Amino acid sequence: MSAVAYPEKPAFLREVTFWRVVKVLILLGFLIFVPFYSDSRFITTVFISAVMFGVFAAIYDLMIGYGGLINFGYAGFIAAGAYTSALAWFHFGISPWIGMFLGGVMCAVLGFLLGVISLRLRGLYLALMTFFVGEAIRFSIANTPEYTRGMLGLSVAPLPDLFGISFARGELLNYYYLLLVMGAAIMIFMTVLVRSKFGLAFKAMREDQLATESLGISTTRYKLYNFTIASFLTGILAGFYAHYLGILSPTPEEFGVPKTVQILTITYVGGRGTLWGSLFSGFLLIGFQEYFRALGAWRLVMFGALLIFVMLYARRGLAGLKKYVW
Amino acid sequence: MDLDLLLNPIILSEILLQGMVRGSMYALMGCGLSLIFGLMGVKNFSHGEFFMLGTYMMYFVAVMMDMPFLAGIFAAAVVLFIFGMLVERSLIATLRKRAGRDWLLDAFVLTIGMMVVMQNLALLIFGSRRRGIARLVEGSVDIGPISITLERLTILLVAVLVVIVLWAFIKYTRTGKAIRATGQDPDAAQTLGIDVNRVYTYTFGIGAALAGIAGGLLISIFPAYPTVGFQPVIKSIAVVILGGLGNVPGAIAAGLLLGVIEAYSLFFFAAGWQNVITAILVVLVLMVRPYGLFSSAKGERP
Amino acid sequence: MTLEVEGVTAGYTREVPILQGVDLTAQQGLVTVIIGPNGAGKSTLLKVIYGYLEPRAGDVRHFGKSIIGLEPKDMLNEGIAYLIQGHSVFPKMTVHENLELGAWTLGGDRAAVQAAFEEVYDHYPRLKEKRSQLAGVLSGGEQRMLELARLTMTSPRTILLDEPSVGLMPKLVDTVYDEIARLKEKKYTILMVDQNVKKSMEIADYVYVLQLGQNRHDGPQQDFIERLPEIIREWI
Ligand SMILES: Nc1ncnc2c1ncn2[C@@H]1O[C@H](COP(=O)(O)OP(=O)(O)O)[C@@H](O)[C@H]1O
Ligand SMILES: [Mg+2]
Repeated sequence: MSAVAYPEKPAFLREVTFWRVVKVLILLGFLIFVPFYSDSRFITTVFISAVMFGVFAAIYDLMIGYGGLINFGYAGFIAAGAYTSALAWFHFGISPWIGMFLGGVMCAVLGFLLGVISLRLRGLYLALMTFFVGEAIRFSIANTPEYTRGMLGLSVAPLPDLFGISFARGELLNYYYLLLVMGAAIMIFMTVLVRSKFGLAFKAMREDQLATESLGISTTRYKLYNFTIASFLTGILAGFYAHYLGILSPTPEEFGVPKTVQILTITYVGGRGTLWGSLFSGFLLIGFQEYFRALGAWRLVMFGALLIFVMLYARRGLAGLKKYVW
Repeated sequence: MDLDLLLNPIILSEILLQGMVRGSMYALMGCGLSLIFGLMGVKNFSHGEFFMLGTYMMYFVAVMMDMPFLAGIFAAAVVLFIFGMLVERSLIATLRKRAGRDWLLDAFVLTIGMMVVMQNLALLIFGSRRRGIARLVEGSVDIGPISITLERLTILLVAVLVVIVLWAFIKYTRTGKAIRATGQDPDAAQTLGIDVNRVYTYTFGIGAALAGIAGGLLISIFPAYPTVGFQPVIKSIAVVILGGLGNVPGAIAAGLLLGVIEAYSLFFFAAGWQNVITAILVVLVLMVRPYGLFSSAKGERP
Repeated sequence: MTLEVEGVTAGYTREVPILQGVDLTAQQGLVTVIIGPNGAGKSTLLKVIYGYLEPRAGDVRHFGKSIIGLEPKDMLNEGIAYLIQGHSVFPKMTVHENLELGAWTLGGDRAAVQAAFEEVYDHYPRLKEKRSQLAGVLSGGEQRMLELARLTMTSPRTILLDEPSVGLMPKLVDTVYDEIARLKEKKYTILMVDQNVKKSMEIADYVYVLQLGQNRHDGPQQDFIERLPEIIREWI
């Protein structure tokens, strides 16, 4: 303790130290230049998957890690966002750039409704409710082939050119940089959000619903905020997913439990309540999964075992390692 | 929808009967899940994989070893009972003893991890080929104007028998009483000298055995393959919610109800929509009566 | 000396000790009462005795035998029964089943179980009357009676009671104390935690005052009656 009084810096500036800036620059450099210089379609594809699922998992973390809200039908929401954008183009010729936004709005509405119908539910009950809502969305898509082509699969247009940048199917790098921009915007938005009074209210609600209510904070309202915001971000990213992927079909692997489990695993391994941990574990897990394709089903066995391990012995996930390596 | 069909009593009762067969298997699957949930609050998402192991046990015993199908069901029950106890002892108990806030949610996520591991191990070991048995029993009987296959009748009877045995076990045996007491108040049960850890382990084993029995019994409908457990686990979760979490008799009633509803919706709507209807039904129940259709609000914990 | 607690130090986490060197003895046929402000560690002490918490130091002996390291499930075999704080009937089981569970550790000894039932039903005709009703529908007083009756099913030698009269109507409180007095007649060793200082003084033989996890005062009941107002003032 020194007796000298420092002038108070604003909170966000106090966190800006030299080493932090360096670390962030190194990371950004890694993300920006590795796919560019590697000049390998494989690496770029892996980076796209890793960033995309890392950000999905970070959004998931906004719900589970900050609000204590488990959305076990999350893949259904991704489906809603993806199909909204794809169908808006398919049936009405709406530009995918607007379509992605519409996907966000559609998801926000669904997320808000989900919040409304599950106001009284917590924990496991919420998990079950969201699970059935997610499945209902997926089954509805599967059962209306007149509009969605159901299990036959819906082919989706690539994104149209923007500012002279081509997003034709083969332009992987352009898709990647677009994703980086979108992902960065989403991550920064969420980081600001969880450091505001919203974040405080989310955490309070996660810790103790009754105590939070007794402080005059309406947990129902913040639950709605949380679900709506998280779903909106999900929908936008899901729109990107649809146009990048080029084909959608409502199979369980794509939009059902396995997908939710994949994202949930990334979140849990990254460490709940960290946001950025998900990005790291996204790279770790997706990278592992892609690199060891030859291992086949063994990869998933390891994924499951990893999730079990995290639940039993490493509840903080990678974040528990942070002090050693970062 | 055709109004003539809607009003034809023979068709309606035929569907009702089909629905009851369907419902009896849902009830059987829901029982084990509900038993575990009622006792320890754990929602076991790998229940479907216990079911899957049951189908493989049945296939090995009844087809590869060419023994009677009842032996297959028995083997499925025994193996899954032991397996369930091992899982509880090694995994669930570790979380439970650490307890703390939200351990139930952690346990749920843990069982998700188990689901992934078991499905993919099964894929590696057995491959993705479906191994089924077309018929456990041949023939059919007529009840008035309705005809039902002996196969379905057998499923119905065995399911009813198993449920009755389970009910009597919980109601009258010493272990059954310890299970109920521990479910209602584990602290009090412990002060009376009941080894609650052992009760948890047994109960998890029994729940797994029930899933295994269901898997073995239903092999003609759900052949053995790695992800066969998915439909059954969804149905049993639905049944458990409709019946009231942890309410075993409620799960049985809800199983029958859901079976009948699905049989009618399969008949009157296109196939596939019965899943949406189930999901909507569950969502409605969670909204309006989170404690289930057959439980009272008191003493439950939404 | 039926029950001896010697220098017990214990807590729920490693960092925070709740009990710090507590000594206490309880003798056969006497009612020993522990009083003290909220959070003093009274319930914690009973939990240590019953094996829920392992003390970090000290010893607990029952009839001369150390019972440290035994688990709650073994305690009835040692002759110690425990009524936990709050409600502990099994609400969705019948009165009879509740009592049956009280005799759990007798196992297959049908004759002993039968005898225990006879004695309990003899003494509590109301419980006999309502034997096939669910315990959850009994009145608060009846539930407490059921809990006390359940404690005696295995004929233990020592009974630990944690706030047996809390939350009951005043009239029922008297019944509970009468019941405890009767258990004392029957030569049980009774160790009781109580918030109801005045009432418990009426049946106490020996009193301990616990404060912040340490012994504060102790002495026979006669000494305490006069010092009571002064002691209670200390708490505030
Ligand atoms: N399960 C527990 N975990 C952690 N701390 C506890 C637990 N139970 C009680 N405590 C703490 O131990 C202290 C003593 O509690 P207790 O023995 O219940 O007090 P008393 O019964 O005298 O009112 C209190 O500070 C309480 O907060
Ligand atoms: Mg207390």
